[in-house]
Amino acid sequence: MNRSGGNRLEGKIAFVTAAGGAIAGATARLFAAEGAAVACVDISEETVRQTAADIVAAGGRALPLVCDVTDEDAVRDAVSQTVAEFGGLTTVFNAAAYRDPQAAALDIDVATWRRTLDVNVTGMFIVIQQALPHMRNAGGGSIVNISSIYGARVARKRPAYSASKAAVRLLTQSIAIDYAEDNIRCNAILPGPIETPRLLVTNNSMDAVIARHRPHLPAGRLGQPEEIARTALFLASDASSFTTGADHFVDGGYNAL
Amino acid sequence: MGLLDGKVALITAAGGNIAGATARLFAAEGALVACLDIAGEDVAQTASDIEAAGGRAIAIPCDVSDADAVRDAVAGTVSAFGKITTVFNATAHSEARHRLADMPVEMWRSVIDVNLTGMFIVCKFTIPELQKAGGGSIVNVSSIYGKVAAPERPAYCSSKGGVRMMTRSIAVDYAEDNIRCNAILPGPIEGPRMLARNPSIAAVVERHGARLHMKRLGQSSEIARTALFLASDESSFTSGADLAVDAGYTAF
Repeated sequence: MNRSGGNRLEGKIAFVTAAGGAIAGATARLFAAEGAAVACVDISEETVRQTAADIVAAGGRALPLVCDVTDEDAVRDAVSQTVAEFGGLTTVFNAAAYRDPQAAALDIDVATWRRTLDVNVTGMFIVIQQALPHMRNAGGGSIVNISSIYGARVARKRPAYSASKAAVRLLTQSIAIDYAEDNIRCNAILPGPIETPRLLVTNNSMDAVIARHRPHLPAGRLGQPEEIARTALFLASDASSFTTGADHFVDGGYNAL
Repeated sequence: MGLLDGKVALITAAGGNIAGATARLFAAEGALVACLDIAGEDVAQTASDIEAAGGRAIAIPCDVSDADAVRDAVAGTVSAFGKITTVFNATAHSEARHRLADMPVEMWRSVIDVNLTGMFIVCKFTIPELQKAGGGSIVNVSSIYGKVAAPERPAYCSSKGGVRMMTRSIAVDYAEDNIRCNAILPGPIEGPRMLARNPSIAAVVERHGARLHMKRLGQSSEIARTALFLASDESSFTSGADLAVDAGYTAF
């Protein structure tokens, strides 16, 4: 079966973390529809197999990989398998994030803080560190890191999450500056509230989420995972060839007011 | 099938390097394009390039700081193409280099009038048309110098900072009308205007030194492709945002 879609990532090989989730799953499917071969990486085997199966059923190329991004050896293996299967690595989409509990600083234990930082920041660092040599070998590439509006604006009772997502922005800029000469670009996306199943873990309904965020959602709606995916496509593709070290808010105007 | 099929775009400074590239790309992606510029000959060239490539364009000579002229240009666009869905605001002047105390007030006023008030006027007269069309996208060209200072260019920097904030204000006030508004912050882009104030492109690269991490200037086509992303439905949840297209200049 021929895949439908465009060719904006023709010839690219992408490593997508949290690919069993809503946002990275949509991104993996879009990248594949645009011609990329996609390594779908997630700690959850069932969900990542589903994403890879969806891609293959649509005529794309995908490899499911079960991997905890905080485990350096596991990430090294996953990257090696990707390179062995597809012949290289040009593109990274980093979206793995820990489901941290809502708790203010006095109520969060140090282990929870450490785990949040470990997944959200150190996991991203490990993935980038393992991917960079292969991207250099490929003559360059693009890394897209998921930060959050909460890396720029504070959320209530999310000290670890907010700190981790701010760290992602500066990690992104650091990679951008240090590897520009290798033709490797690195950018951050800062999503606003996106309609995903994870939102319903801490909220009763999507309407409750919208109500809670007013007036910061001037369009009166949540974002969709596909809207993050399309921004990731822009940043992963050569359409953004002079863009590196930049924050991309995809937040329906949240950060504008 | 193009990313801007069914759109009608009004583009200012379309006789210039960056907006000219943007007008040609928008047309190639299916938009009908009204090309505005104060320089009638340049804008006629952009429009005829588009027509020669099989696109549709009209050229409208227009000073964006003249509210009556902009009103007429908007009316002319709607009369030619039926509506306006998309705006690309790129008109800009830069002053001769002065520190603030040495700058004549008239020089300050002329930069603010074109770069900020001109953009306000274009937005003021196009937003009602975007509302009638059921929504749309406005892309304003700010600058890295709307975020970090350039030496001896107080008016230019102030105007480009103003563009960022006006962009956010529009994004917030017109979100309910399905109108998005975003700013592009270009880094140093290679173009003829650059050679008016520098001896060579190599001298510009040299002057920016360590901040030009890709060791090259940007190309007008790279701003155009970012504008295309923002003008198209690909960026449907992006509004009130700054998109730096600067190879890491403002990150450093």
